[in-house]
Amino acid sequence: MKRGSSPVARRSWTGLGSRDRLFVLYPKKPGGTYPDFWKVRKMALVQANLWAKQGTILLAGRPLAFWGFSADAGGAPTLPGPVLEATVGDTVEIVLQNPGFAQPVSLIFPGQEAVSVLEAGGGFRRVAPQYRDGAIVSLADYLEPEAESSLTYRFRAVKPGIYLYESGTEPEIQVQMGLYGILIVRPPGHDLPGHPNYQTAYGAGTGSEYDRERILVLGEIDSRLHEAVAQGAAYDILDFAPDRWLINGRSYPDTLAPAGDPGLPSQPRGAGLRVKTGWRVLLRIVNAGFQHHTLVLGGLTGRVVAGDGFSLVSPALDASYHKSALTLGSGQSYDVIVVPEAPGEYFLHAGEYHHLVNDDLFPGGMMTKMEVVP
Amino acid sequence: MATVDLWAKEGYLSTPDGNSIYFWGFAAAADAPAQLPGPLLLARAGERVTVNLTNLLAVPVSLVFSGQGRIEAGGGPARPQYDPDGRLFSFTDVAAPDGGTMSYSFTPAFPGTFLYHSGANPPVQVPMGLYGALVVRPADYDPALPAYKTAYGFGTGTEFDREYLLVTGEIDPELHRATAAGTPYPIHRFKPRYWTLNGRCAPDTMLPDGVAHLPHQPRGAMIMAQPGERVLLRYAGAGVDSHPLHPHGNHTRIVGLDGRLLQNGTADLSYKRFTVLVNPGQTYDQIFQWSGLGFTPENPIPTVLPNIRNLAVGEAGWTMWSGSPYLGRKGDIPVGVVSYNEAGEYHFMLHSHEEVKITNWGEFPGGMMTMIAIFSSLDPGVGVLT
Ligand SMILES: [Cu+2]
Repeated sequence: MKRGSSPVARRSWTGLGSRDRLFVLYPKKPGGTYPDFWKVRKMALVQANLWAKQGTILLAGRPLAFWGFSADAGGAPTLPGPVLEATVGDTVEIVLQNPGFAQPVSLIFPGQEAVSVLEAGGGFRRVAPQYRDGAIVSLADYLEPEAESSLTYRFRAVKPGIYLYESGTEPEIQVQMGLYGILIVRPPGHDLPGHPNYQTAYGAGTGSEYDRERILVLGEIDSRLHEAVAQGAAYDILDFAPDRWLINGRSYPDTLAPAGDPGLPSQPRGAGLRVKTGWRVLLRIVNAGFQHHTLVLGGLTGRVVAGDGFSLVSPALDASYHKSALTLGSGQSYDVIVVPEAPGEYFLHAGEYHHLVNDDLFPGGMMTKMEVVP
Repeated sequence: MATVDLWAKEGYLSTPDGNSIYFWGFAAAADAPAQLPGPLLLARAGERVTVNLTNLLAVPVSLVFSGQGRIEAGGGPARPQYDPDGRLFSFTDVAAPDGGTMSYSFTPAFPGTFLYHSGANPPVQVPMGLYGALVVRPADYDPALPAYKTAYGFGTGTEFDREYLLVTGEIDPELHRATAAGTPYPIHRFKPRYWTLNGRCAPDTMLPDGVAHLPHQPRGAMIMAQPGERVLLRYAGAGVDSHPLHPHGNHTRIVGLDGRLLQNGTADLSYKRFTVLVNPGQTYDQIFQWSGLGFTPENPIPTVLPNIRNLAVGEAGWTMWSGSPYLGRKGDIPVGVVSYNEAGEYHFMLHSHEEVKITNWGEFPGGMMTMIAIFSSLDPGVGVLT
């Protein structure tokens, strides 16, 4: 993805009047340096809307119903959901709505602490699991089906990293149906040329400087689950047996289609890469599925600089390490920096070879390509 | 410069429950049997490796070498292969079916343990058996000098006395049967029934290398050492499942992952583990040192035996000290038992902690299990990778 060009996360640099306690200020100096940067930049409010909807994805050319989040009231839901971006120190507010969506739905933010929710009467309180007759029905405050109201979640972006957000209501079904997305928290100064944190995932001194960044969200789909759930038919999650494997909501070769491909309206995120030799390519690999997934780096070897949003490099210890493949449990993430030396086509693919199929035939599934040019 | 010839061929695997399974594997010579895993490739960092593949199968086969850069095939950079419709069918240049050849070459930059496997239709060809391991010696490797008999080079803390390679894999007999018969197989339902170490299921894992009745599975998986020796265990995940392997007796120290030393500058990043999850396409180099219960220099093997509760008693009038309930049964030593361990050695299991995987099609014992045997004295020729 291009920096600062997330098409879906609506970034609202409000403040300066609209909310007097939140403001952001970048004084522009001749020469483009920001020496007193962190004294200047206080806080921002990042706001995003997420509408839960039913939609249709295309896998190997065949439509399949799914549930996803859309950033706009009128937009198609996407798989994965919109990428939310914030900077450390920001307050993040997500407004969840589900008009026209016949399911209860909520949001959880694994890796974020102290998530609050806006109460009906105003004021935020800590988000809480929800019970009915003593049984838990949602991991967080939720909207009733086709709610007329919205639900606003709020948290402070405390540390950089890449994280998932997902539904906390009937998660065993809803997350599989597609109600998940990515949250990226960036270090302050990441977008300011000349700043020590510029184009880093975790800040200066974390070995996470990059020239190109690519989110790779891994997941799997059981088509029968999607068909049954979308039709309101019975589905026993214990029969879960996926037949589709995805990167960024797409199966190969669609993974190589460009971002925003009009033929894939609900799968806007590409997974292909075209980079130059010597570039530091930051792969941000997240497992949004239930299964373990291994990503083989196509013959390349990368440096793992963070796991689950925790940098492995500190002034006291550089604990980053090299890997040519990585296995992620459900919900885990790794940030890996690959510096390709030789031009060529490198296929990044599941180490579970039986996941490299569409309709049981190779090639397909969880696979994408990095094209390296001189 | 090392040159290796590999032939892709058919063969039949033997499992301890009497099954005979059609498979595809690599052979070391035209008239040699295909083996699982394929022949071990031994190389040295900085020295050119050439692998000449001859394909005797009826499908195109190629080779992928994990962790190796700038691989050449057929005289140019190795390239993905597409059919006339633009459909990918191999990650690298192929040897054509029925006798085609392809030559691959590369210069390993790093010592360590790596995998090679077919890059053509890998969902079928890799589980069918077209995989093997590549061990790269450090440039300064010299087995005659203890300080240079290392996994990662002089001064890296990876000196070893003996070394063993354990390649994990899985077998779904239905895939093999369907492939032999040319019938459809639902790849997305891949469901192994056998779990292998070096291509063998327990108890065959404990048999020596090259036993006559396992012509296609020549590599044993028995770990043998003397007390206190540094044993280099190289785990290589050639299959598609993750396997939590653990040895009894002592923990292991992981010194390298995917053929990369766990060290940054002067920072030693190696770490100890009780269980190591061996994941697909990944390798784990470890140092294992047995200093177990009951052993001291003053109480060498055979030692005073531990409490009877720690003894496993077999049916045939033998006992093994294992600390494990998995071998034999616990209880009073049967009348007539007069010896403890014929050779006086200790036995410990090394196995997958997913116990369903230490069965052969559901029958315990079997699968991904082997033994570590600690001897009071052991020929220095044992535990040498060739
Ligand atoms: Cu055990």
